[in-house]
Amino acid sequence: MQEFIQLTVAGLAIGSIYALVALGFVLIYTTVDVVNFAQGDFAMIGAYFMVTCVLSWGLPWWLAFVISVVLAAIAGVVFQLLIYQPVKNRPRSFVPILIATVGASIFIEQAYLIMYGAVPYQVPGMFSVQTVSLGGITLYSQYLAIIVITAALVVLLSWFLEKTKTGLQMQATAQDPDTAKLMGIHTAWIAALVFAISAGTGGLAGILVAPVFNVSISMGSSIALKAFAAAVVGGFSSVRGSIIGGLIIGLVETYGATYISGSYRDAFAFIVLIVFLVFRPYGLFGEKTSDKV
Amino acid sequence: MIKQFLKFSPLMLFFAVVPFFLPEGRAGSYYLTLMILSGAYAIAALGMTVLLGYAGQVSLAQAAFFGIGSYAFSILAVKYGQDFWLSLFGAVVIALIFGALIGLLVLRLRTHYLALVTIGFQIITNLVLNNWDFTGGSDGISGIPRPSLFGIDFMSDQNFYWLTLVFITLAAFVVYRLRYSLLGSTLLALREDEIAASTSGISVVAAKILAFSVCAGLAGLGGAFYASGSMYISPNVYTFSQSVTIFAMVLIGGQESIVGTILGAALLIFLPEMLRFLHDYYIAVYGLAVVVIILFMPKGVYGSLASGAEWGWQKLFAQRQTEIPTASTVQQAPPEKAAVRSDEVILKISDLHKYFGGVKAVQGVDITIRRGDVVVLIGPNGSGKTTVLNTMSGIYKATRGEISFCGHDIVNKSAHQISRLGMSRTFQNIRLFAELSVIENVAIGFYPKATVGVVGTLLLRPKGLREDRQAEEKAKQTLLLLGLDRFHEKAKNLSYGEQRIVEIARAIISDPEILLLDEPVAGMNREEKIRLSGILRTISGMGITILLIEHDMSFVSEVSTYLYVMDYGRLISEGVAREVLKDPAVIQAYLGGEIEDA
Amino acid sequence: MKYSCKTLCQTAAVLGVSLASIYAGQVQAADSGPIKIGLIADLTGNAALSGRHKVNGAKLAVEQVNAHGGVSGRKLQLVVEDDRGSNQAGVSAYQKLASDTEIKVIIGSIRSTIVKATLPYITRYKIPTMIGGTNPGLTHEGNQWVFRFRPNDDYASKVMAKYSTNQMHAKKVAILYDTDAFGSAGNRLLQKALKADGAKVVSDQGYTTGTKDYTSYLTNIKSSGADTLETYMTDSEDEGQMLKQFSRMGLNMKFIGSASTATAVTIQLAGNAANGKYAVTGFVNSGNEAAKQFSAAYKKKYNDDADLYSAWVYDAVNVVAKVIGKDGNSTQKIQQGLRHDVKGYHGVIGVYDFDKKGDGLHGLNVVKIENGQVKVVKYVNFAKQQ
Repeated sequence: MQEFIQLTVAGLAIGSIYALVALGFVLIYTTVDVVNFAQGDFAMIGAYFMVTCVLSWGLPWWLAFVISVVLAAIAGVVFQLLIYQPVKNRPRSFVPILIATVGASIFIEQAYLIMYGAVPYQVPGMFSVQTVSLGGITLYSQYLAIIVITAALVVLLSWFLEKTKTGLQMQATAQDPDTAKLMGIHTAWIAALVFAISAGTGGLAGILVAPVFNVSISMGSSIALKAFAAAVVGGFSSVRGSIIGGLIIGLVETYGATYISGSYRDAFAFIVLIVFLVFRPYGLFGEKTSDKV
Repeated sequence: MIKQFLKFSPLMLFFAVVPFFLPEGRAGSYYLTLMILSGAYAIAALGMTVLLGYAGQVSLAQAAFFGIGSYAFSILAVKYGQDFWLSLFGAVVIALIFGALIGLLVLRLRTHYLALVTIGFQIITNLVLNNWDFTGGSDGISGIPRPSLFGIDFMSDQNFYWLTLVFITLAAFVVYRLRYSLLGSTLLALREDEIAASTSGISVVAAKILAFSVCAGLAGLGGAFYASGSMYISPNVYTFSQSVTIFAMVLIGGQESIVGTILGAALLIFLPEMLRFLHDYYIAVYGLAVVVIILFMPKGVYGSLASGAEWGWQKLFAQRQTEIPTASTVQQAPPEKAAVRSDEVILKISDLHKYFGGVKAVQGVDITIRRGDVVVLIGPNGSGKTTVLNTMSGIYKATRGEISFCGHDIVNKSAHQISRLGMSRTFQNIRLFAELSVIENVAIGFYPKATVGVVGTLLLRPKGLREDRQAEEKAKQTLLLLGLDRFHEKAKNLSYGEQRIVEIARAIISDPEILLLDEPVAGMNREEKIRLSGILRTISGMGITILLIEHDMSFVSEVSTYLYVMDYGRLISEGVAREVLKDPAVIQAYLGGEIEDA
Repeated sequence: MKYSCKTLCQTAAVLGVSLASIYAGQVQAADSGPIKIGLIADLTGNAALSGRHKVNGAKLAVEQVNAHGGVSGRKLQLVVEDDRGSNQAGVSAYQKLASDTEIKVIIGSIRSTIVKATLPYITRYKIPTMIGGTNPGLTHEGNQWVFRFRPNDDYASKVMAKYSTNQMHAKKVAILYDTDAFGSAGNRLLQKALKADGAKVVSDQGYTTGTKDYTSYLTNIKSSGADTLETYMTDSEDEGQMLKQFSRMGLNMKFIGSASTATAVTIQLAGNAANGKYAVTGFVNSGNEAAKQFSAAYKKKYNDDADLYSAWVYDAVNVVAKVIGKDGNSTQKIQQGLRHDVKGYHGVIGVYDFDKKGDGLHGLNVVKIENGQVKVVKYVNFAKQQ
């Protein structure tokens, strides 16, 4: 039982990270209809900002945290201007954007390798205490922090999207960009904002996971594909969906590696995904949209 | 066909003589190995040209198929000691089977969903190759043979390179032949518009499976050449990032271009090698180069070079060859069937219901159409007319009711089957294959008449070539009959009225029994309307029965022989135009009592 | 036909440019310049960390040789090419180095798959190639041009099994291995050796390189009731990660791992969690006099700890410099020299005696990590047993 709880907490924590990055995928996809394959790199960028803030500048954890998230969000806007804007109006833009984001991802990772070197960095977690004992069960404090912060962020983001004017404008743009434009919504600004939020949550995920994963150039790509799968399992359309998708993938992966096969750990996420897509092509919460004739 | 394909011969000849210009010794061997590598990847990338470029399906699993080919080949050759050629054949067939299975699995998926399933397949395949003892696990397989034939020893890199070149040519031929055959046009139709494809008699299922199998088969062939070329394989070659690279080869070279794809493969293999002098920075520069090419060369490297060369050619020689357009005299082709009105019922709809969740769009409609009729279905917006049409043509499944067409029960048939029984249609908001030329658009409608399968098409069966020509001829005739001669214009560049005509031409080229038209004159000006009513008369004269939905009452009374009126999903009146339009119920329902243009 | 003319012109232009660039890269060779040594390393990609150490180790050796007057009055020069951690680029890098006719000897990869991919070309080019891949098969294929500068896994697995059963009294063993070529071959050999030594393998799990969360594996290891965990992990980053989680989960079984356990990176990442762990490794910073000097010089030059990735190339450069000094700089002479003239050379990893197959080292250290320091517990020499 104790082991099962440990596994579940680990699964939920890893799942939360997938969920945060998945959230980034979904926000960008629903608002500007782009699948960004460099999403995992936002997590890496956020984590490296944290490295600079904490290890080079010696800033306190919370301040470093805030600065890193903001810088990651700014990086998202720059990315948006350089990669997304020039290609967005091409026919079947999904395809060139995919490769452009992949190329960007190669570039970003190598640039960081040159700037920071290959040795992984260790950054401190939120708590100085490593483990917490609850009724005889030893849990890793950072895992708990990841779960709690993710939950808080989801509440915040849902409130933002559903209750604030800007959030509603984003949703309107998502549903019908042309009409949104006519209604006086500045869609270019919305696109920049979406990339900022999405890169910000990605960066946040990277910062949260940094004490667990260590900071290296490979940290982003290992998260991105699973997060992508999580987004699809959740339906690629809602905050709620991507969170639940992320948690499902995290748990399935952890249980699968434990009870079925460790060697095939990376396959479980995709087996779940394929089963989902074949039997429920629109994910858990996705709406079935048939072609208009 | 062969003659047109010969235009690739200068390119191939050029590649063939390259080894003579390479430096001697090991430096030459370095470049030759890279060229063999490029060749293997070019073959796989040509597969992607079919799948991505032609059929518009996104797959990020090409390295998995490439790997399946490599492993099938190596296991057959090394473990089972089979001969090179048999192993090669085995590699292609096994990869092809996997491709077909994946095609079947992803039938309902598009863009990123499709991409993800293929990524999943890629990752699972790589894990299996890595962890399965049968495939040699992570150690891979070494001692992979190269062939010898007629006393030529392909152990020599030069000879092996030429052999690869022969197979690139073969792969290029397969891709080229598909592009310019009726069979291959189904892939283009799939890319442009799945619904219009299926109502033109194309089985979307078959087209997808065809695209995936050809793509995987070519990947398998490339993989076998990779294995034989490098003499050792291990799972770390067949990774997700390799799939992305193959995908990028196609895109960077030029999605739809065969030459572009081959150059793209060579470019992405050579680029990092050529950049080695940048030391620490070279992979970053490589990533940047990919981004820059995508951003600034939308048509790919070859596309941009070609248009650059074109421009230069024009500037230098200024011999603007003005193609004299074919005489625009509209030929009145003799109607093939006699215009007969008869009492034979060709379509009978009884008690048709169609619900969308709680919305009852159609509730109990009965329509009978006799051969030679021009039946018009009218009714206010939202009365369920288009739903009736969509249910008839198989785009929607009926909730309840029967539709019998020429003696067949068609309620549960799919769109392409119904189309093949002789029911063609157009759409309210025109559905053309936008990126294809006018003539290609129309010729696709002829596809149901094609009788030659994949093998026949690829082996150049004369019958298949004849049918391809026939389709083109017939398309020209049909277009001229309807008064359009801009054959080679892209469909998206035509005016609204012209697009409508192309759509009708596509629908009637297969000599259907019945033609369904959904608001054909909507948005047309007076002259175009007159022209269209003439066209309808011509079509009717050819013996094709017509059912159309229309709002324009003057047009309706001019062309119709019988009228059905719908409101709120039910029929409220039927009869000949003059009487029905006077029916108070109709006047009441229709626009609150006033009838447009009447 | 006009169309095909145009196609020809276009493609000729494209290809002409690329061919020209190939020739532009060819620089005329000078005869009495420096002696070139080729080196392949992972400089980009996920394994870049080990690649840096490798290049640093080689550079240090070259610098020291040159500072002492070079070889026969000529300076040594290192030519480095990146293999991106992949077979394909590994072969290209090898060929690129081989195409420089002044390069008579090449330091190959530490990754067994990349060595395997380059083997056909080594055979063909007949260039003596010094490798660090430890898969026993690499030197057992009758290839006379391959020389290994690390003890192979046949030795390592036997030492690990023997030490754990005899000294650590392992009865029930759990194995955790990387599913790459190094780890999975190690796992097979280790299982065989453990069986021979009478221990029972109660859990045997593989993970993919780069795994970050080991909860699943450690949970299984815990519930398997094993008294000893033996690991065959490839990357130090993974090893450090795993050790941290090992201690965090409160596991306290005995532990012995492959060489990556005792690297500076692992110890740095794992911190306290590394203490008390045993490992089987060739190179130890304080293993012998030469190693101490090397580690000090390395620390001074790079402000970083030397590890196995830098040690074997350091030895390789020094050994080959000696051979060239004695026999001359040609592929044939270096091959013969490495095969016959390297007897009892004291390198930083150990004593080199190349056997017929091309294995230079026949001994390994069992080490224990205490207070972040690697202490040699035992040296096992197979040369004497044979």
